[in-house]
Amino acid sequence: MDRMSLLGYGVCAPDAALRETLPFAASDIVREAIPATLRRRSSAATQLAFSAAAAACGQAGRSPSSLPAIFASVAGEIQTTDLLCRELARPEGVVSPNAFHNSVQNTAAGYWSIAQQCTQPASALAAGHDTFAMALLEAWCQLACSGGELLLVCYDETWPAPLDPGRGEPAFACALVLAAGDVAGRLAHIGRPERGGAEFPEAWRAMAERMPALAALPLLDLAASGGKARAVPLSAAVSGWQARMNCDD
Amino acid sequence: MTAPVIAPVAVTAYQCVSAAGDDVEALHAALVANRPCLQPPRLFELPFDTVVGEVVSPLPAIRAELRAYDCRNARLALKALNQGGFRAEAERAVARYGAGRVGLVLGTSTSGIYDSELAYMHLLRDGAMPADFSFMHIQTAQASAEFLHRELGLEGPCYGISTACSSSAKALGAAQRLIAADVCDAVLAAGVDSLCRLTLRGFHSLQLVSAEACRPLDAERRGINIGEGAALLLLERATPDNASKPRLLAVGESSDAHHMSAPHPQGAGAAAAMAQALRLAGRRVEDVDYVNLHATASALNDRSEAKAVASLFPSPPPCSGVKGLLGHTLGAAGAVEAVVSLLALEQGFLPGTCGLQQPDPACPCPVIAAPRLDVAPKLVLSNALGFGGNNASVLLEAA
Repeated sequence: MDRMSLLGYGVCAPDAALRETLPFAASDIVREAIPATLRRRSSAATQLAFSAAAAACGQAGRSPSSLPAIFASVAGEIQTTDLLCRELARPEGVVSPNAFHNSVQNTAAGYWSIAQQCTQPASALAAGHDTFAMALLEAWCQLACSGGELLLVCYDETWPAPLDPGRGEPAFACALVLAAGDVAGRLAHIGRPERGGAEFPEAWRAMAERMPALAALPLLDLAASGGKARAVPLSAAVSGWQARMNCDD
Repeated sequence: MTAPVIAPVAVTAYQCVSAAGDDVEALHAALVANRPCLQPPRLFELPFDTVVGEVVSPLPAIRAELRAYDCRNARLALKALNQGGFRAEAERAVARYGAGRVGLVLGTSTSGIYDSELAYMHLLRDGAMPADFSFMHIQTAQASAEFLHRELGLEGPCYGISTACSSSAKALGAAQRLIAADVCDAVLAAGVDSLCRLTLRGFHSLQLVSAEACRPLDAERRGINIGEGAALLLLERATPDNASKPRLLAVGESSDAHHMSAPHPQGAGAAAAMAQALRLAGRRVEDVDYVNLHATASALNDRSEAKAVASLFPSPPPCSGVKGLLGHTLGAAGAVEAVVSLLALEQGFLPGTCGLQQPDPACPCPVIAAPRLDVAPKLVLSNALGFGGNNASVLLEAA
């Protein structure tokens, strides 16, 4: 495989101020994307991920039930984990069964597979500031080895203050539907993620260093603008992960 | 045999630190003796009785430049890296292929949360986290992956996979794909999880923790025990040079799409993962000599998995599970039990099911209680099934 096709994408940015600065469409959390049985008891992380994932599948015209999924998040269900850690720090603290099984990093992936009745593999990965880059690389490897199509979701809810003051906000999610090779109706081609010198845009750097899920902004920007072929950075960190992207041919 | 979908990779080195001891030799000895390694926790107190698979020997210190990563999880990983020449094998791969062509994928469920729990006690007492606490370096699912990556000076891809109890089995799959897709020539695939209050008290709240040593697949089972461990596997492109090494043929993956904390009652997802591993490797069910079961000793999980085996295999091979010996090492289990399976392949034996006395009649697969030292398996499936209905099955073959 020498390239993959971007078939659709979705973006969820609950912070209205952030939405206004983005050069592409983004939504608040979409209630309809979350099954009624999950709406009250699911975390912001899961709701963000569902909102972006549903939008991406919609734009691509693909049924989520058939797509393997990669869920990528730096901190996962960190608000739930924070509450549990506070309880565990007290001798009489109580761990609720629901909070416990909703604290795993693959909570969003698990609920997504259940809600969509999707029996395809669902992964959950994290790679710090390179989380989006490594998720795109994992997507590349899955498509290169097995072909077909998949859903990639990169998301993070706001991190609780004690864990990493000054970082972990604003909350953000994006999702991509990707296919192996050339597919009719693609929005863009994306090449293999690799190390390189593509510069992360200064306008977004400080924000993306605070919230690593925002490392997807340059790729989403190019997908929306249909710009000429170039290497887009996939991380705001110095690691240099990038991918060549082409909306023209 | 049909054509494999994915190229096999060689397992050129593997190592494991567990409750059975500090290296693979200790693990092998415990498996052959079917010796339970569970005892009351020493690391912290709990408001209920249980036994755990704890690593009680001293853990090495993290060197000064990487101090930000210092936590029990990273120390367990470092201990495994330093055992039995594994580090030298990893360094040989870096020298051979170049640091940029060696990657690292680590599976974990709770990463360094044991140390975060201590930090939260500090927070409740003093109103602030300890000054040296670093969320990104300790608690995130990638923290111990990044630690090992930097400890070895790797420059290839580095990430953590956290899909509960299937985490490090899926890390093996991701590592194989990095090589098959020609992103890497070698990948260190790891599973590391450390004991913490969160998982012990969490599983207790689900009423799943046994007060006594667990009895997987037994009619009188009373729940699970939690363990900890670090398992490392060095995967390289299969070549004539490493033809004497066992092969990772494929990792099958699936989702139950059923329930967050209960498996599909008929084991449909587990069966799909095993079938997928065989399909990717171009092998038939008849070729499998032994199934290393996930077998946590929770009644729902054991029965679901046994039904999965019975549905997939017209005539199932011998099956067993080792959690009565090591405890359930959660996100590390996939890699730990891949190492158990590699020992079975290389040393020529089948592990027993420690704690099994009266097989549960609702588990329709041929479970062996005692180890069998007269059988040398060639092809082994090892299952890891987790929360969220996340399933992975690892197919390994003798050289």
